[in-house]
Amino acid sequence: MKLFTPSGGLIYGSILEEVKSFHRMKKQDGKEAIVEKTILNKYNSYFRMAMSFVHNEADAADIVQEGAYKAIKNSGSLHYVEYVETWVFRIMMNEIYRRLKSREIRSIDDEDFTDLQVVDNLENIDLMIALESMSDKDKAVIQLKYFEGFKLDEIAYILGENLNTVKSRLYRGLKKLRCELEDVEIKGG
Amino acid sequence: MPDIDGKVFEILKKEYEKPVMSDQAVIEMKRRIEQGKKEKRMMSNKQGWAIAAAALLAILILLPNISGSVAQAMESIPVLGGFFKVVTFRDYQYEDERNIADIAMPEITIEAGENNAITGVGKKTADDINAEIRDITNKWVEKFKANLEGEGYQSIKIDSEVIATTDNYFTIKLTCFYAAGSGYEENHFFTIDLNTGEKVELADLFKEGSNYKRIISENIKEQMRARMAADDSIKYWIDNEEYPEWNFEEITDDTSFYINENGEIVICFNEGEVAPAYMGIVEFTIPHDAVADILK
Repeated sequence: MKLFTPSGGLIYGSILEEVKSFHRMKKQDGKEAIVEKTILNKYNSYFRMAMSFVHNEADAADIVQEGAYKAIKNSGSLHYVEYVETWVFRIMMNEIYRRLKSREIRSIDDEDFTDLQVVDNLENIDLMIALESMSDKDKAVIQLKYFEGFKLDEIAYILGENLNTVKSRLYRGLKKLRCELEDVEIKGG
Repeated sequence: MPDIDGKVFEILKKEYEKPVMSDQAVIEMKRRIEQGKKEKRMMSNKQGWAIAAAALLAILILLPNISGSVAQAMESIPVLGGFFKVVTFRDYQYEDERNIADIAMPEITIEAGENNAITGVGKKTADDINAEIRDITNKWVEKFKANLEGEGYQSIKIDSEVIATTDNYFTIKLTCFYAAGSGYEENHFFTIDLNTGEKVELADLFKEGSNYKRIISENIKEQMRARMAADDSIKYWIDNEEYPEWNFEEITDDTSFYINENGEIVICFNEGEVAPAYMGIVEFTIPHDAVADILK
C-alpha cells in the first residue's frame, strides 16, 4: 500500500487550494475592517433612523449595538465591498423592523410623539406629523433619500424591495408632505 | 398644490439630525463589535491560519515551477483515479430579511472507463456516498425550512471541497454551517480508494486484528495534552476530574478522518465532541511513526 507516497502534481493542486483559501481569509479580514470603519463613521445615521421609528434613546442605541454586532459577525457574507454602506444600513433597518414588530405585540403606547415637543414652530410640527403618519417604509424611503442621500436603487436594496415599489413609496410620501404644506398655506393665508 | 422646495427638507433634516448617540452607548457598541469579531473567528476554522501560512511558505519555494497554464488547469475539475468526478449538482438558495440559505451539494459521478470491474464498484460507492450526502443535506435544509416562520435570524451554508491528496485516495469534505444566534459547523468526510473504487473506512487501513483505535486515541491524547500545555486558551475534554464522563476515551467506527497530502491520517471531531464548542472543529494529524507498525 502506497499510503505515504504523495503525487507531485496533486501537491501543487492542494497548495494552490490552500493559497486560494489564504487569499479568501485575507479578503475576509479586509471586509471585517471595512464594515467596522463604516459603522464607526455612520453610527449616528443609524441611530437617527432608529430614533425616528422607536422614539426612545435606549431602544435606538440597542438597535445600533445589535446591528453593529450582527454586521461584524456576518461581514464574511458581504459580497461586494463597494456596497458596504447599503449593506450595513440594510442590517440596521431589519433590526429596526424587528424591534417595531415585537413592540406592536406588546402594546401600542403614545410615547411616539414625545420627541416632537422640541419642534419650535407650528409649520414644522405639521410637517413632522405628516412624516410621522406615513407607513414605516414610506417614511424610511423619504428619510433615506433626503436625509441620508441614498439613490433609489440603493434604497431598494436597503429595504429589500424592488425599485418600482420604492418609487411609488417616494411619490406617495412626497404627496403627503405637499398636502401638508398646502394646508399650512391655506391656514396661514 | 405647492412644490416642496429644498427649504422644507432643510427644516425636516435639521429636526431629523438632532439625536446623537451618547458616549456610553458608543462604548457599548464598540464592545459589541469586538464580541462580533471574536465570535466570527470562532466560527472559522481555527487551524486555517497555520495552514495558510504553511502554504504561503510552500508556494514561495515552489512558485517558479508553477506556470500560469498549469495553475489554470488545476482549477478545472480533475477526473480522479481515471473515473471519478465530483460535480455540484443541486443548489438550494433562499434569502429574505431574516433567513439565508446557500446550499451547494456535491455528487460523485463515474466516467465510463476501460476498467469495468473498478467502474462497477465505483458506481456503487458513488451511489452510497451520494445518498448519504443527500440525507445530510436534506436534514439541514428541513431544519432551516422549519425555522423560516420563527422570529430570529438564521443562515445555513453547505459547501464541499475535494481533498485530492494522494495517488491512492481522495476525500470529499462536506461542510455544513448553521448560524442562528451562535454558529455551528459540522464536517463530514467521505474517502474513496482509487485503486479499488471502494469507500474507505478507518479499519480498512490497518492490519486485521490490530488495535488501531486504541493506538490512534493514545496519540490524540498525547497531542491534546501537549497543545493544552503550550497554549492556555486551548481546551479539550481530557484529564477533567470534574466531569470525567466528558473525557475523550477512544475513537469509534463513526469518527471522521481523511488522508492528507503527506499520506498521514487526520482524525476530525465536530464541535463539542472532544472539546468545548468554542474550540470549533478539531483535527489531529496522526504521524506516520505512530501507526507504521499496524498499517496494511
